Amino acid sequence: MPVSQEAVLEVERVTKRFGEVVAVHEVSFSARRGAILGLLGPNGAGKTTTLRMIMGIFDPDEGEIQFSLNGTTGRLDKERIGYLPEERGLYADAKVLETLVYLAELKGLDHGEAGRRARGWLTRLDLGAWSDRKIESLSKGMEQKVQFAAAILHEPDLVVLDEPFSGVDPVHQDLIKDVIRDLRERGTAVVLSSHMMNQVEELTDEIVLVDHGAAVLSGSLDAIKEAHGTHTVRLRFAGDRAALERDLRIEGLAIDGDRATFRLPKGTTPDSFVRGLPEGIIVREISVTRPPLHDIFVQTVEGGRR
Amino acid sequence: MKLGKVVAWEFRRAARNKQFILMTVLLPGIIGLAGGGVALFGGAADGAARTPAGPPPPFLVPMIFAMILFIGAFLNGTMTLYGVVKEKANRVVEIVLSSISSRELMAGKILGQGLAGLIQVVLWGAVAAAVISALLPGLSWHLTPVQWVSYPLYFALGYLLISALFATIGAGMKDVQSSGAQFLVGMIPYVPMMFVAGIIQQPNATWIRLASFFPPFTPGMMMIRVSIAPIPWWEVAGTILVLGLFDLLFIRVAARAFETAMLMYGKNATLRELWRWGVRRRR
Repeated sequence: MPVSQEAVLEVERVTKRFGEVVAVHEVSFSARRGAILGLLGPNGAGKTTTLRMIMGIFDPDEGEIQFSLNGTTGRLDKERIGYLPEERGLYADAKVLETLVYLAELKGLDHGEAGRRARGWLTRLDLGAWSDRKIESLSKGMEQKVQFAAAILHEPDLVVLDEPFSGVDPVHQDLIKDVIRDLRERGTAVVLSSHMMNQVEELTDEIVLVDHGAAVLSGSLDAIKEAHGTHTVRLRFAGDRAALERDLRIEGLAIDGDRATFRLPKGTTPDSFVRGLPEGIIVREISVTRPPLHDIFVQTVEGGRR
Repeated sequence: MKLGKVVAWEFRRAARNKQFILMTVLLPGIIGLAGGGVALFGGAADGAARTPAGPPPPFLVPMIFAMILFIGAFLNGTMTLYGVVKEKANRVVEIVLSSISSRELMAGKILGQGLAGLIQVVLWGAVAAAVISALLPGLSWHLTPVQWVSYPLYFALGYLLISALFATIGAGMKDVQSSGAQFLVGMIPYVPMMFVAGIIQQPNATWIRLASFFPPFTPGMMMIRVSIAPIPWWEVAGTILVLGLFDLLFIRVAARAFETAMLMYGKNATLRELWRWGVRRRR
């Protein structure tokens, strides 16, 4: 589904200080219907503080946060937004199903509808058998799935997920990723944060990379990779190895037997490189890839500090 | 109405708590058994000696109910405080506050837990009343209209006040083990109990009349004063009004303090910080 241009959330140059520490510095982005925005960066970069400002838990010191939910522009409409906080827990003494029903009712669903949807989600998240158990009897991963369900049960227009994959095993990570993709299909705007960039880059449409409270890179994943990534080529070949060494279009060549690894400098597209392969080289295997987001991040941050 | 949902939820959780059920049933059971025992055996032994003591003093019944109020309110306040601390410690607070305001949450906790506590207290009161009338057959249960109206109001509002005070203290605590000087704030309403003798002797002394308008003292002082002497109607109405307003104010203070304190894991808030968070204006 094409990304619609309708912005549900606009974050404009928000800054938040805690005493002397600037936790977030002039960060801007917007979340659109049917798109997943990844707020990525290392621990302590200001991701959670930014999300808490969106949720109205903190007020920004500077800048503005605007919502367009339910046809109205302006302040946060708590019924149209779903939130999975980083610091999360549930009432240990309450049962799984009744907890979900309660939280959904607080989002404005009536009791019957809340119950129907809660049962549906518990089944989809493999928790159907746990409906009448107490929260305290769940494992941490299971509890996390219940919290995730609570954030999306009421079919909000905007879902804010703070580190949704931390503490979840790989199988359930995939399950949650599937659900997030479904949300996008349905036209929900999703904002998620993660410090595991490589884990979520495939999921996101747009990215804001933050470091020390400031956005260092932002845009669509493709555009960022296009602008910052040089391509890495891995080649198995036969024939004239000297021809490869003479090729001026490549950088950082390393040859190990019949395997060669090198980079394409900026401006050289994979297409032009492949078409212009030197004579005398017989290609057995070839892969041309862009570096993972994590490497781009490290390059950018280190470049900026130099 | 979302507040209603929060109240119902907190009430259900409070009433299902095993400790709570035990306290509710066990205490009146003990009182009932002990009272019954005294009435049966003690009464038979010195029944003759007791009658000449004359009619019991008029303040006895309100004293006993004030005691029940304060014991019940203390237990309930402690439960509310633990509920608030647990809410922070469980990290459930950020999820809940993404749907409702901290004020709805705090008011819901105080009212929901309080409702469960009131049922407990009414049960205790009924048992106590039965035991008293069995032990003191000559006791008059006649109440004046002012007493009929004012007792339940002082009781309920005093109860709410103590809950709100404890909830505010809970908002600043990092876990259930830690408590210090903050706890003493919750004890302020108990201070009039120390002056019971003075209040009984001079229920309309100026300092007592003035102190009755200090909301934390109002329930303790007024329940006793109303029962032993005629009090001007405007004083009764005035103290009830001030107490009611103070209750509303303190639920607000509890909510504000909670809102600020909820993201401070790790550290106990000082009284000064609690006060500042409680009364500051939101930008």
